[in-house]
Amino acid sequence: MIKTGNFSKLIKSTSQVVSNSYKTSNKAAVIGKKDVTQPPTLLLTNGNLAKSLPTGNFYVCSGPGVTTQVRFAHTDINVPDWSSYRRQDKKSTESEDTRKNFTYLIAGAGTVGGAYAAKSVVTHFISSMSASADVLAMAKIEVKLSDIPEGKSVTFKWRGKPLFIRHRTGSEISTEQGVPLSQLRDPESDSQRTQKPEWLVVIGVCTHLGCVPIANAGDFGGYYCPCHGSHYDASGRIRKGPAPLNLEVPTYVFADDGSLVVG
Amino acid sequence: MAATVGRICAGAGLLKTSNGAVFNQINAFSTTREWSKGRRMVLATVGALAGGAGALMFALDQSVKASDLELHPPKNPWSHSGLINSLDHSSVRRGYEVYKQVCAACHSMKYIAYRNLIGVSHTEDEAKAEAAEMMVTDGPDEAGNMFQRPGKLSDYFPNPYANEEAARAANNGAFPPDLSYIVSARHGGEDYIFSLLTGYCDAPAGIVLREGQYYNPYFPGGAISMAQALYNEVLEYEDGTPATASQLAKDVATFLKWTAEPEHDDRKRMLIKAAGMFSFLLVVTYYLKRHKWTNIKTRKIEFKPRK
Amino acid sequence: MALNSTLYNAIFKRTSTFVLLAMASTFFFERTFDLSAESIFRSVNQGKLYEDIKKEE
Repeated sequence: MIKTGNFSKLIKSTSQVVSNSYKTSNKAAVIGKKDVTQPPTLLLTNGNLAKSLPTGNFYVCSGPGVTTQVRFAHTDINVPDWSSYRRQDKKSTESEDTRKNFTYLIAGAGTVGGAYAAKSVVTHFISSMSASADVLAMAKIEVKLSDIPEGKSVTFKWRGKPLFIRHRTGSEISTEQGVPLSQLRDPESDSQRTQKPEWLVVIGVCTHLGCVPIANAGDFGGYYCPCHGSHYDASGRIRKGPAPLNLEVPTYVFADDGSLVVG
Repeated sequence: MAATVGRICAGAGLLKTSNGAVFNQINAFSTTREWSKGRRMVLATVGALAGGAGALMFALDQSVKASDLELHPPKNPWSHSGLINSLDHSSVRRGYEVYKQVCAACHSMKYIAYRNLIGVSHTEDEAKAEAAEMMVTDGPDEAGNMFQRPGKLSDYFPNPYANEEAARAANNGAFPPDLSYIVSARHGGEDYIFSLLTGYCDAPAGIVLREGQYYNPYFPGGAISMAQALYNEVLEYEDGTPATASQLAKDVATFLKWTAEPEHDDRKRMLIKAAGMFSFLLVVTYYLKRHKWTNIKTRKIEFKPRK
Repeated sequence: MALNSTLYNAIFKRTSTFVLLAMASTFFFERTFDLSAESIFRSVNQGKLYEDIKKEE
């Protein structure tokens, strides 16, 4: 905090050191030569009160170079007796650390409590942004693998998209594992795309323009997209046609009771 | 600093120091000053009398209101009615049995899914088994046909009727309401449910019931289209609790309380934390306020007017 | 007295150490407070909670 009184002294002294043509004066308040004291009006009515307010042009000068606070040092007032407020037993400097520690400890405890409350509020708000329980419940699909016969591809609906689960035959597995990566547009080995070689799990959306491919069709015996003629093999890899990428493999785990959990 | 702020505010006219002048100005616009004293007295008297009469009429009307003959349910001592008392989960589990075997024949519960039972009354495997007991229409499949499959955890409780019209047709034109939020949706809450289920009696003289209607004093109007559903031993509880009618009603009311307020227990857990935390913070804040204000509060200002 | 001045000079004198201590104690306080609130809830509602009916089976 800057006390304008102190500051103005500083300015005054500098202006006195540097001599220039300007007349330096420190006019804070103009006090008339003659003190005309008017008898104080008794402020008892609304009218009186209203009249006691300044009516004409009223100026207040302020700024760094002007003292706006006027203090009167009184010599006729005795300093009150504070002895009942003072610590009698010991000097205040001796107990200073103890007292400070106590207050800081209370302030620290308040900070801890406030931080705890703030954290729980923030976590509540943030967790309200995450997916709700009904959405999470729909995000997983459980498939009984014993229902899918060998050599068949079954379609499920998962998160609004078709999901192909293919129970591959031994000859399909050996064919796909024998394909050299140099022949592929999007080189991925068959073991990269499957967890167990008998089961192929892919999302049934053609990587070209999003059509749904037909199972067990096309030149490579896997999937065939009827829209623009993309041929996928039995590992869901693009072999022929306009599609740029292999069919997407979602995350899935084999549960121990012979079922597959996708999602 | 404070002085500067005060100067700026007063200079900009934000702080008006002369309320008296403004009051005078407002008074000058008022026309009531021109009224004679007698006229003012008359108008004030008329106003007071009119207001008093209105209040009296309202109070009289409230005291004799008897527009409907309806018995209000008594307050029962539920084990969850305290400030931090949780629901009785074994009662919720029994109440689910009652709902499944009795209520579900006519009432739907479309906002509760089988997954909601997990951790409340059933384990995950039990909830899966409960869901698998019913068949759900799903589809369409590749051929465009709808098909039936056993229920999953993500499925909601089945509706006994295909639509509202079918429900009305099967129940003499009355629609069995969805029970998901019924405890919150009826005055008296779980007390009402309990009293309604156990309160069936013969109609008093003068009350005419149409065919298919029953008398229940707790039901607004008295004539209810739902027959008494709970009798002693109407079902057998899994845990061997004697299935008296009042036990069944209590359990199903507790279950419906849970479906209406699934957050009930969490809310009461939260109360313990919030009450503890806020009372602690209150004490701390009070101490700090006293600490910060001591310098101001222990100050003495002496003023000696000029002689 | 010595302990008080040590404590003051080590922690409360600087805002950085003060805030650090507050954050560290918040970590422990959170756990204890949550656990004690939960134990109050459990002791009040003994026999009614889901944990109690699960044990029976």
